[in-house]
Amino acid sequence: MDVRFALRFSLALALIAATIASVRAQNVQSDTQNAEAARVIAHGKDIFKTKATCQFCHKWDASGDQGYGGNALSLRATRLTPAQVAETVKCGRPGTGMPYHDQFAYTDKRCYGVTREQLGKDMPPEPNAFLNSDEIDAVVKYLFATDVGRGPSTYEDCVAFWGTETRQCEPMKQ
Amino acid sequence: MRKLSPAMALMTPLLMAGALTPVRAADMTFERALNAISKEPQNWLLYYGNYQGYRFSPLGEINTDNVKNLKPVFAVALGGLQSGGRYAFGNLEGTPIVEDGMMYVTDGWGSVYAIDVSSGTKGDIKWKFDPGIDRAWAGDVACCGVNNRGVALWKDRVISIALDGRMFAVNKATGEKVWERKIADPALGETITMAPLVVRDLAIVGPAGGEFGIRGFIDATDLNTGQQAWRTYTIPGTGEPGNDTWKDGADRWKHGGGSVWETATYDPQTDTIYQGIGNAGADWDPQYRPGDNKWAASVLALNPADGKIKWGFQYTPNDPFDFDEISEHPIIDAKVNGKERKLVVHAARNGFFYALDRTNGAFVGGKQYVDKLNWTTGLDPETGLPANYDPKSGVQVYSPGTHGMRGEPLATVCPSHFGAKNWEPTAYNPTLNTLYIPSIEGCDGIETVAQKDFVDQGGTVKPRDRFSGGAFKMTGRLYGSLKAIDPTTGDVKAAVRLDFPNYAGALATAGNLVFLGQADGIFAAYDAKTLNKVWSFSVGTGINAPAISYSVNGKQYIAVLAGSRQSPFVMQSDPSVKYSSTTSMLFVFGL
Repeated sequence: MDVRFALRFSLALALIAATIASVRAQNVQSDTQNAEAARVIAHGKDIFKTKATCQFCHKWDASGDQGYGGNALSLRATRLTPAQVAETVKCGRPGTGMPYHDQFAYTDKRCYGVTREQLGKDMPPEPNAFLNSDEIDAVVKYLFATDVGRGPSTYEDCVAFWGTETRQCEPMKQ
Repeated sequence: MRKLSPAMALMTPLLMAGALTPVRAADMTFERALNAISKEPQNWLLYYGNYQGYRFSPLGEINTDNVKNLKPVFAVALGGLQSGGRYAFGNLEGTPIVEDGMMYVTDGWGSVYAIDVSSGTKGDIKWKFDPGIDRAWAGDVACCGVNNRGVALWKDRVISIALDGRMFAVNKATGEKVWERKIADPALGETITMAPLVVRDLAIVGPAGGEFGIRGFIDATDLNTGQQAWRTYTIPGTGEPGNDTWKDGADRWKHGGGSVWETATYDPQTDTIYQGIGNAGADWDPQYRPGDNKWAASVLALNPADGKIKWGFQYTPNDPFDFDEISEHPIIDAKVNGKERKLVVHAARNGFFYALDRTNGAFVGGKQYVDKLNWTTGLDPETGLPANYDPKSGVQVYSPGTHGMRGEPLATVCPSHFGAKNWEPTAYNPTLNTLYIPSIEGCDGIETVAQKDFVDQGGTVKPRDRFSGGAFKMTGRLYGSLKAIDPTTGDVKAAVRLDFPNYAGALATAGNLVFLGQADGIFAAYDAKTLNKVWSFSVGTGINAPAISYSVNGKQYIAVLAGSRQSPFVMQSDPSVKYSSTTSMLFVFGL
């Protein structure tokens, strides 16, 4: 075999191998990122469903509700940005039934520049559970991945939320 | 007949009195239920202790002199903390039943526990019956928590219910299910949370769901067959008396509410049950349902054999506040203005105490018992109706600004829409002729939203959707009080202000004590005459259940279920409970 050819062949092989390795690495990185994004959204769902029980007032599909959860707004129809939703989760909405979830909200002026004392009777209610910034981020990502800007929820949405071990979605099956 | 030995002859009355613990409890009979307090003071056989709704124990070993020595003697961890539907956990609101050293309690998801408490030092769970609820399905249409208020005994069975609308007959000795019957249907927004009332061979219950567009009913199950004996709708249908009080012209009575979620009282003298009835639907949009909306926000007197309505009395016609009156209606014979009267009394959610003639529903007297009341100026002394009720008006306008109207949706009502007293039962000491009311004090807001119709009436609201014509809105902190009133006059004899609104009921005892638990975990005893606090113990978690008393081997105990966390709305801005957690525990106290 020609030495130069052998050298060129080896270099070409090395290049191909490096390229494959690089693509693989990118894929692995991309898969990791996707898995992480999915994990965060699933974590957000758990908070929405159980830990903070956001669904008690906003309904499981975030379409808003009334009654013993207050006149809770639809997050499917909201025009708020993710940052604005995050702020609302963190600070609640003074004068309404929307609770704050940052444990230290209104102990200083981090929320809307006011304190508990300044808000008086407009102080938002205590939450079912306090959430840290990662948790607030997760619940916002869940909402924007699943509900915000969507039309009416479907049977498939219902099953995705509640699972198949309950009759919960049967009324939507038609 | 075999002759008893002298020793056995001596033992028999002791055994009958429960001084020693029988190996196997006798069958529960109607006769035993009728004489629950007088013949079996050691037991707590019925939900209210007796049919008349007293929550009074005739045991006096623990009394005002020695209650300072009362201490926890054992505790038992229960379950039912799982999430389901709209809720992160189940609560404990149940009343334990005790029969000859065995206690039967329920958790929020309807599991029944048979606990041997005869040792006085430990509670041994002998069996547990889990009804196996589809928690998401039932919990999504429970308006206000995952609750179960207890069981009833009948023959050799325990009769229980589950949130998903089923009733169960369970073998008292083993915990094995004998039969079950579906009574209420979560597909229609119906759930069951109340303890059954057993009269003779019938078990009587009804559905919650006044916030989900149900049409309420009272339902009797024949316990011999497990089949329905009768059903009486609380909202009259076409052609039935009272249907003409639904003047909307669109058959909205079909989703008119009138839920039933607290046990009725029973009067053996007149053979009548007295069932409190819930709010009209939709709760906060009275213009949706012009008319008085019978029999929402009422009491119904019924014949237990066939469910026929003998009479009804409506407390708040065209109720725009959510003042459902499901809670207990104690039965008291008393002299009023020099005349012996057969009374049925009620500390109403609307803030007034009422005494009615229980033979015909005639109004005898009424008086405000809550600290602050703004929605009316008083009661008409003849009819007992709100003073500003207008019989000519379809939609009642009570004191302006106290309830939302379309176009003027915001209002502030006192007492709050939770009521001056919600479900949490009163206790009555017959010796002192004093009724103890655990109340909820303060005000809150209402925000009316015009209610849309159900799909079966041409609208968009689907079964299981909330149907409340708006919402409530907290406007400040609520607090509580315990009030001792004379049920013949409504006069407040003594009162104590409490830090938290009451969600647990009261227990009165012959030791001249009143026991009451609070949302911060303080379980306290009050002097029955002065209401001075004479003892307390912190269980470390919210109490939403009423206590009971029983004795084993002659020693008196006080038992209470502890485990709840109030909703953020109730505990608004109260830093002292914002980090509290729930649990699921039975606590038993003794000297």
